[in-house]
Amino acid sequence: MAPTFIDLPVEILESIFIHLDATSLISVSLTSRTVNDFTSNVPVVWRSFCKTHFRTWASHHHIAAKFAGPLSDVDWRALFVQRVRTNKETNRLFELVLSSQLSRIQHMNEIANFGSDAWESLYEQSVCSRSMPDVLAREYYAKAIMGMIQRESAIKLWKRLDQGEDISLETALGAYDVFTSISSLVDWESIDRDINRLAGELLENHPTFATASARVKASILAGFLHTKGFRGVSDASYRALRNSFIGYALHNPPHQSLPLISVAIFCALAKRLGLDARPCGFVFHVYCIVYAPKDYDLNGLYKPTSSSELHSMYLDPFRSSDEVPSADLQRVLRQMGVPSAEHTTFLSDTTTREMVLRTARNIMNSVQTIRQGNTSIDDGIAWANSSPDIDTAFYATIWSMMILSPSTATSGPANTLISTTPRRGQYLPYLLDHMQIHQPWDVSLLERHVVPYFANSNNREGAQLEKFARTIRTNDRLAKPVKSRVSHDPTDEVVYYQIGQLIKHVRYQYEGVIIGWDTSCEQDEEWIQVMQVDTLSAGRNQAFYHILASDKSLRYVADQNIIPTGATSEPTNAMLKLAGRYFKRWDRSTGCFVSNIRDEYPED
Amino acid sequence: MAEEAKTVTLQTSDNQNIKVDREVAERSILIKNLLEDLGGESGEEIPIPNVNEAVMKKVLEWCEHHRKDPPASQDDDSDSRKKSTDIDEWDQKFMQVDQEMLFEIILAANYLDIKALLDVGCKTVANMIKGKSPDEIRKTFNIQNDFTPEEEDQIRRENEWAEDR
Repeated sequence: MAPTFIDLPVEILESIFIHLDATSLISVSLTSRTVNDFTSNVPVVWRSFCKTHFRTWASHHHIAAKFAGPLSDVDWRALFVQRVRTNKETNRLFELVLSSQLSRIQHMNEIANFGSDAWESLYEQSVCSRSMPDVLAREYYAKAIMGMIQRESAIKLWKRLDQGEDISLETALGAYDVFTSISSLVDWESIDRDINRLAGELLENHPTFATASARVKASILAGFLHTKGFRGVSDASYRALRNSFIGYALHNPPHQSLPLISVAIFCALAKRLGLDARPCGFVFHVYCIVYAPKDYDLNGLYKPTSSSELHSMYLDPFRSSDEVPSADLQRVLRQMGVPSAEHTTFLSDTTTREMVLRTARNIMNSVQTIRQGNTSIDDGIAWANSSPDIDTAFYATIWSMMILSPSTATSGPANTLISTTPRRGQYLPYLLDHMQIHQPWDVSLLERHVVPYFANSNNREGAQLEKFARTIRTNDRLAKPVKSRVSHDPTDEVVYYQIGQLIKHVRYQYEGVIIGWDTSCEQDEEWIQVMQVDTLSAGRNQAFYHILASDKSLRYVADQNIIPTGATSEPTNAMLKLAGRYFKRWDRSTGCFVSNIRDEYPED
Repeated sequence: MAEEAKTVTLQTSDNQNIKVDREVAERSILIKNLLEDLGGESGEEIPIPNVNEAVMKKVLEWCEHHRKDPPASQDDDSDSRKKSTDIDEWDQKFMQVDQEMLFEIILAANYLDIKALLDVGCKTVANMIKGKSPDEIRKTFNIQNDFTPEEEDQIRRENEWAEDR
């Protein structure tokens, strides 16, 4: 008898369905009861759909373990349906984010709560077609929410480290790469992959590595990294921000990095190759300590001992592959006036937490150097081409220090020279300041991860924090007061410019765009005095504009200090990256950004 | 010539003998294993009781065309590979047969353990399903709709999540 579709054996039907998409599979299941009985019970097919339809999964799914585990442990169809629903919900909420300022932060938070489940939908939005009428807003908010998801995963990792979980050095340092979204090609997976690849290559080039002594292994490893281009960093670019980002240094030639990162790479690679290497918490410069296995010396000789102390040597993989004599290090400490009783502290291995905090300080130093160097207008918009973003890098250090610093200042030998760790509360002003200006939507991160630190104390900070969060939430829920031009006296045409107009400041020359206006100066008296508003020829009774400047700052400028850039001028790349927060797109024909805040300024 | 030894004779379910190059026949893992078990030197016919002559000839035509393909890798986990319904041009033409023959080829490929051919067959059927409504699929494969309207409606509701956003 000739075979028909329904007669095909189950495993063949499975092999057919695996090539379908979900919609087609459901169409098949609607053909008959027999087929439906079958399609509702094909976990292999649904698992395959899960694998092929979605690349990123929120961490709570533990998807890698599910894929590796037995097929029957998971309701794959339910999981697939859940992911499809999440995607739809993400897209629905995202349209709300774009369409109105009302509850925008709430909607952004709801999407971010999906974690990586929302990632692919957001990514699609972030690379949407240039012809979308609200292309700038789409890009801006998709990236803003993706940034939130990234930041929260970094924050969660640092919290696990703080709670004493055993986190590898490269993972803890890689959280800075993740937090700042330094590159779309860099994340924890890429770090792992890059280190494994280096380890594989080393073993290929040095087949006898496994049997060598610790000393020889250390030397081979340092030499290998050197030939692979890992040579620290030249003095000229020492303060470049990216030198503190391990994932970026691993992934991008010429692999420049600060000594701390070089040591971390060395240690991570050593670990995969069965060599015990740890960072040493020396002053100002991070060295690496290589340990011989127990009961052996560094040359591989059998030296049984009852002591738990291991033979060790110092290395400075940043500078060379040669051993650093410990006498040299002790001499430096003596010259610096460190009492010899404290030498062990600086000559022993240090913790991952300490390395993360030292990286925070390194990043902060770089940020300060860059900020101090910025004087011209061009430098003001250089951020647009910088990777990672300077403000986000700074923000990352505030978070890591907030999380990993002890809540009360500790004293002890370890802290006499290295500056004592200030209390968490000291970071709060910086954190709130950054959020206020750049990322008010991070309020959910604040509520989840910072508020609990201050919850049990009756201190000023706790109250300040609560007020800050509440204000953002409340403002988000309220419709913006409508500023309508029609309601003004028509003879009173004081507001000459309109929302979206590209302008230059008469005196300071910076590029800006108008995002709001008042018919007269509406700042408080103190501000008016400090800014000497009354010395302007038109005084305080002229239109004042809220300006978003391309250096990211928000300003309040008098009408007489504004000149339009002219009909033919185009916004800079920096301006285009920022404008999506308030505008839909750039309209070349009018030389204006198209407003996305018409709920507030309906006539503009 | 020594090459002479490299043919085998397959006996189909309808008792027809087909002589074919051993290399071609060995695209089938089943036949390959059988030949190895037999020690290779015997000249007797290999019985293939589940495949008739017409289908066998069609299958061997495919094997002939693909005789030099690299063997399928062992770790080819059926759901980890990239799902693609791309089929190369020759295979597409090859699969332009009536539905009965298409299913016969798939069943034969399954029985003879010719993974690549089974794959092409399944993809071909998948392509016949894709983008069609349930009704069109019923017509294509002559499936009897045995749902009550209520049942059909309920399944439709259960699957609303999959409808395009």
